[in-house]
Amino acid sequence: MSEGCRVISVFPELLGTYGDSGNTVILAKRLELRGFKVDFVEINPGVHIPSDGDFYLIGGGEDGPQARASDLLAIESPLSRAIDRGAAIFAVCAGFQILGNSFPASNGRKLSGLGLFRVETHRHLGPRSVGELLVSPLQELHLPILSGYENHQSVTEVLANGSPLGTVLVGKGNNFGSDPKVDGAIEGKAIGTYMHGPAFARNPKLCDLVISSVVGPIPEIEDIELTRSHQLLYQDRLNAAQAVKRRT
Amino acid sequence: MRIKYDSMRIRFAVRISLSVSFLLRRLGLGEGATLPGRILLGIAPNAINELSEGLRVILVSGTNAKTTTTALAKAGLQARYSVVSNVTGANMREGIAFSLAQRSSRHSGDEIGLFEVDESYLPSIGQALSPKVVALLNLSRDQLDRVSETRMTSIKWRNYLAGSPNISVVANCDDPLIVFSAEKASDVIWVAAGLNFKFDARSCPNCGAEIRFSADDWLCDCGFRRPDPRISLVQNFVEIDDRRIELDMQLPGRCNVANAAVALGVCLQAGVDLEDAAVRMSKVDEVAGRYRRISITGHQVRMLLTKNPAGWLEVFDMIGADRSVVVGINSRIADGKDPSWLWDVPFEMLKGKEVIASGERAYDLSVRLRYAGIDHRLAKDPLEAVGLCSHGEVSFVGNYTSFQDLRRMIEGNDTKFLPQLRQLVGRFSQ
Repeated sequence: MSEGCRVISVFPELLGTYGDSGNTVILAKRLELRGFKVDFVEINPGVHIPSDGDFYLIGGGEDGPQARASDLLAIESPLSRAIDRGAAIFAVCAGFQILGNSFPASNGRKLSGLGLFRVETHRHLGPRSVGELLVSPLQELHLPILSGYENHQSVTEVLANGSPLGTVLVGKGNNFGSDPKVDGAIEGKAIGTYMHGPAFARNPKLCDLVISSVVGPIPEIEDIELTRSHQLLYQDRLNAAQAVKRRT
Repeated sequence: MRIKYDSMRIRFAVRISLSVSFLLRRLGLGEGATLPGRILLGIAPNAINELSEGLRVILVSGTNAKTTTTALAKAGLQARYSVVSNVTGANMREGIAFSLAQRSSRHSGDEIGLFEVDESYLPSIGQALSPKVVALLNLSRDQLDRVSETRMTSIKWRNYLAGSPNISVVANCDDPLIVFSAEKASDVIWVAAGLNFKFDARSCPNCGAEIRFSADDWLCDCGFRRPDPRISLVQNFVEIDDRRIELDMQLPGRCNVANAAVALGVCLQAGVDLEDAAVRMSKVDEVAGRYRRISITGHQVRMLLTKNPAGWLEVFDMIGADRSVVVGINSRIADGKDPSWLWDVPFEMLKGKEVIASGERAYDLSVRLRYAGIDHRLAKDPLEAVGLCSHGEVSFVGNYTSFQDLRRMIEGNDTKFLPQLRQLVGRFSQ
């Protein structure tokens, strides 16, 4: 019989402004299509955060809820314990920022993050980073070029001993320092990025990478229509990002 | 028009913009409001102040239902006033300027300017127009690439209204972000207009903690809580103070009864007979092309416009028994460039319907529908998508420009006709 997997959606009510809940839906479904039984748990404020999950997903949101989510996640550090147990984390935008060493509050004050990623997010007074984002992922990940849509104000510095998810081809990504810029961070089975879209809708292989980091090698999905839908969207967004690049 | 230092310039600007608008509409190049408004403001930057002088102004703002609520309020206010309005949905500075340009130069004192305003522009347009009444509907995620996050909008509104003691506000007390916006205003009529989509209201705008919702109430530990409404809904009745007013709406959906309740609040502030206003509102059966049923390629198509998750929650209710549904998603500036919000819509509710995914972002929608377990076909062109439907009764649900595309196509002034020119006009209108 099939194995069970616990998928934990972390604070979708606080950090669910940018449609990133789609990542959870996609991950759960792609697990099921591989024969796993999914125990899906949605954690909202006031509920104990379990540390025995296999997958934790956190999305983007506004400044106030972001600080609130960070405070709640600092209590008994369930995410660190989950990582120690071998869980994977996928975090986007505000969710990515709070997993770093620090991030700015809406009044500019520096808030402590959870320190899972060796990154620091800084206040940025320049223009907001908004638009199509195309990222060439680290070679060792064996992933195709990643597509997303970014929408954020702050910039994120990857510290000397940290690693980004990849190099930005179109857009801003972490938007820190000089070109070429990088996006996100990767630390063992934890991945952070600025890609909305949602990221897994545009990049199902990124989702499968997160899955296999926990459960080991997985077969291709047999649902041809599902795969075809993903391919059409991916190609469409690659074209859109290339068009953005040509214009700039 | 009054003789003023720059009245010649304004008159000239009004003439030009009206002519351009006439031309645009004749050529089938859109509603003909935004670009003419831009020309008007280009020639006479002060046009909004000048043209609105002596006009009693009412503004309507919020994420959803601005156009419909404005149309309902207009119908109600006409019980007593002549109303100049921007019911075509052109709700930024240009659209409002153009509506004012259309104002007849011979007008009586019983004239009201009723304008829907884009939520980002409410404070600045409010400053230019000095409204007597402002109606606030709801705030939720929408076009996040352009509009600020809802909390920022709420704070801007709050500051604007706290500093404008002469404004009477009509506001939805079921939306915490709206209450936060309006609570410092000097005079507020609270309307229990409902809030189906609560995701953007969960964290308290006052303190950041979690707001606790029950069936018809909400509160936060910090003391921020739902004010008692003066206007509320009981089935098809609106209760105002001790009165009950029936609303037998032609427009579909429960949300339109709520929209009418807010519109009645506006009429109350304007001193209109409410029974008369309610009868007039009930008769509205179309708003800028929305809600009506039209015949396309042998199908009876209900035209619905919605552009975000909160709006979609209301739309499922309006689709009703229609067995075919065409969903059109574009991502132009007016739509918001990122349709990630499709993942916040419970498309699972379309189970059992025949679904066609359409529009420029049909592929994003298609992936979303696959994960919702909704089998569907693809046709980027909305007219072609309607043609694919195997049932006679079809609901077309489009976001802003997708809806306008189909509307233009069926009104016959598309598509072979000057598409490049339209694109050009579109670019200048954005």
